[in-house]
Amino acid sequence: MKFGQEYQRVLATQDFPEQWRESAIEYKHLKKCIKKIHQELQSLGLDADTLRQMSEWVGESQAEQNDSKGYYSAATPSLASVPEEFTPQLRVLVDKRTGMPLDATLAPDTKSALQKLAKHEMMSAGRRDYLGASTPSNHAVRKSSVVGDTMEGTIMEAEDARWVQVPLASAKDFFDLLEPKLQDLEILRTAETEKLEEDILDLGDAVENVVQPVREGYEATRKLSYRDLYFWREMFRLYTENPIFYSGTESRRGALTFNEAKSRLQAYDAQLREIGLLEKMKTPQAKRAAQQFLDLNVNILRIMHFQEMNARAMTKILKKFDKRTHLEGQLFLKNLRTKYPALLTNSGKQSQMQSAGGFANSIARDLSAEIATKVLAIVPQPEDWDCPVCYSMAWRPVSLGCCRSVFCIRCIIKLQDEGMKRCPVCNQESVMKADGRNIDFEAMDFLQKYFPMETKKRQKENEKAALVRDYGEGFVKSGCAMQ
Amino acid sequence: MTAPLPKRIIKETERLQTEPVPGISAQPHDDNARYFDVMVQGPDGSCYEGGVFSLELFLPDDYPMTPPRIRFLTRIYHPNIDRLGRICLDVLKNNWSPALQIRTILLSIQALLGAPNPEDPLNEAVAKQWKENQGEAIKTAREWTKLYAQPKQ
Repeated sequence: MKFGQEYQRVLATQDFPEQWRESAIEYKHLKKCIKKIHQELQSLGLDADTLRQMSEWVGESQAEQNDSKGYYSAATPSLASVPEEFTPQLRVLVDKRTGMPLDATLAPDTKSALQKLAKHEMMSAGRRDYLGASTPSNHAVRKSSVVGDTMEGTIMEAEDARWVQVPLASAKDFFDLLEPKLQDLEILRTAETEKLEEDILDLGDAVENVVQPVREGYEATRKLSYRDLYFWREMFRLYTENPIFYSGTESRRGALTFNEAKSRLQAYDAQLREIGLLEKMKTPQAKRAAQQFLDLNVNILRIMHFQEMNARAMTKILKKFDKRTHLEGQLFLKNLRTKYPALLTNSGKQSQMQSAGGFANSIARDLSAEIATKVLAIVPQPEDWDCPVCYSMAWRPVSLGCCRSVFCIRCIIKLQDEGMKRCPVCNQESVMKADGRNIDFEAMDFLQKYFPMETKKRQKENEKAALVRDYGEGFVKSGCAMQ
Repeated sequence: MTAPLPKRIIKETERLQTEPVPGISAQPHDDNARYFDVMVQGPDGSCYEGGVFSLELFLPDDYPMTPPRIRFLTRIYHPNIDRLGRICLDVLKNNWSPALQIRTILLSIQALLGAPNPEDPLNEAVAKQWKENQGEAIKTAREWTKLYAQPKQ
C-alpha cells in the first residue's frame, strides 16, 4: 500500500532520534495482524459477507430498540469507565441452554463453531458467577420481542436467549501491539514538550539580554541596543503575522498540518534572509539568540512531523481493521481519546479544515502559546500600545482610572471637546474628570524606552494637533511661515 | 475630499480584508475609501437563514467620534428595520463608542437579525404583526428572504 511505503520512507529518511523511532507505530506488523484476524474469522466461517449481514441486522434491531447493543460487535466497554485493557470480542446471541447461535441466517458450520466457543464461554462465566465475581450482566438477557421480530421462524422465550462474548485471540494481539505504542507516543510527547519548553525559557532569557531597551545613564551604548531592538521587533512581527504552527484567526483556528507549517517556516526563513535581518544584528549574542530561535522552530516542526505520521498511521490501520474484520475498531479510538486527552484537541470541524492530527495538534498549540508568552512578549509590538480610538500609539498615554485601557492624550481631549462623557471601552462616566494627573507616567517611561522612534513621531503629531485645535487648520498648513 | 485617510480607517479596512468575519464582508469603494459595500449573511437558525443582505456603510468625517452610517439595501421584513433600510440599533445611536468599529457594528447587525426586538420597533406594522402573530411574521420574513435576499449567481 502507498501509505505504508510512505510511512516507512519517512521514518527511514528523516533524522528522527533513535528513541523516537522505537516509539513509532509498527504499521507493517499491524497489517499482518489484521490479515491473521481475517483468517481467524474466516476459519469460523465468518467471512465478510456474513459479518456484513450480521451488522445490517444489528442496524435493524437497533432501530427498533434503542438500548439494544446489537447481535455482534466488538466489546463496547462504556466510555465512562475506561478499561485498562481493550479486548475485542465477538458478541453473539445464543440459546441459553444449548449455546446455539440464534441467527438463523448463519451457515450450519459457522453456527456450530460459534456454539462451541459460546458454550466454553458460558461455562467459564458460570464458574465466575459461582465464585462470586460478577460478570457484566446488563446484556446477558434480551427482550424476546427483538428476537422474535428480527428472526424468522425462531420463537424464543426471553429467558432462553443470552449474550455471550467470544474473545478473538488474534484481534487481541492487534490491540496489544497498538496500545503500548500510543502510550510510548504520549510519553514522548510529554517529554519532548517539556524539553522544548525549557529551550523556550532559555531562549527567552537570551532574547531579554540582547534586547535591553535604552536606559537612563547608558547613553553611550544607546545606538547599539536600540537598533537591535528594532530588528528583533521586525523579526517577531513577521513571525506573529503569519503563525507557523497554530492559527488563531476567526475563520481558521487550530494547528496547521506538518506540510503547511513546513512551508510557512521556509517562507519565514526566506523573508528574514531577504531583509538581511540576521546580518544586521550587531552583537554576536544577538546573532546567536536569533539562530537559537530558528533552531527551536525547526525542532518543533520535527516532532510535529513524527507525531503526525504516527497519527496518520493509527487512523489508517484502524480503518483497515474495520474494513477487513468488521469488528468495530473505531471504538478503540474513542477509548484512546478518553485515555489521552491530548489526542482530542481538534474541534468538530475537523472534516472541513485541514489540521494536524493526533498528538501533533496539542504539541503545536502548547508550544505556540509558550513561545508567544515567554519569548515574543519580551519585545513589545507597537500594536500592543494602540489607542483604542485612533489606532495609533497611545502617546502620551492617559489612563482614565475606570478600566485598564490606555488612550492617547489627543483622543481624550477630543472626547471632552465633543462632550462624550463615557469611557469608550468600559462605558463609565470617566472622561470629563480626566486632567493632567491622568497621564500614565509609568507607561510613558516604558513607551519611551521601547519605542523611541515612534514616540518622537507621535510627539510631533500631537504638537501639530494641539496647534490646529487652538488656532485652526490654516495655522499649520505647509508653507506657513510659522513652521 | 482631500484630507488624508486617518490611520484608524486604513487599519480597519486592512483587517477586514485580511481577517474577514465569517458571514460578513465589507468592501471599500475605489473612489471613496469611506464608503463600503457590505454583505451580511442571515444567521443560521433564524428566519433570515440562507439570505444574503447587502448594505451600504459610510464613515462620516468625524468618525470614530460619531458612528458609521449604515442601512440595508436589500428589502427585509424585520421589526427594527424600516422600509428605507434604516436600522434601529442602540450602538448606532446613543450607545455608540469610539472603541467600536465597523467589524463589531456589522456583527451587531447580524445578531439583530437573529434576535428581532418588536418591543423597540422602527417598523410599526411589522412589529405589530410580530407581537400579534409571530408565526405569521416569521413566515413572511422567510418569504421575503427567499424573494429578495438570494445570493447573486
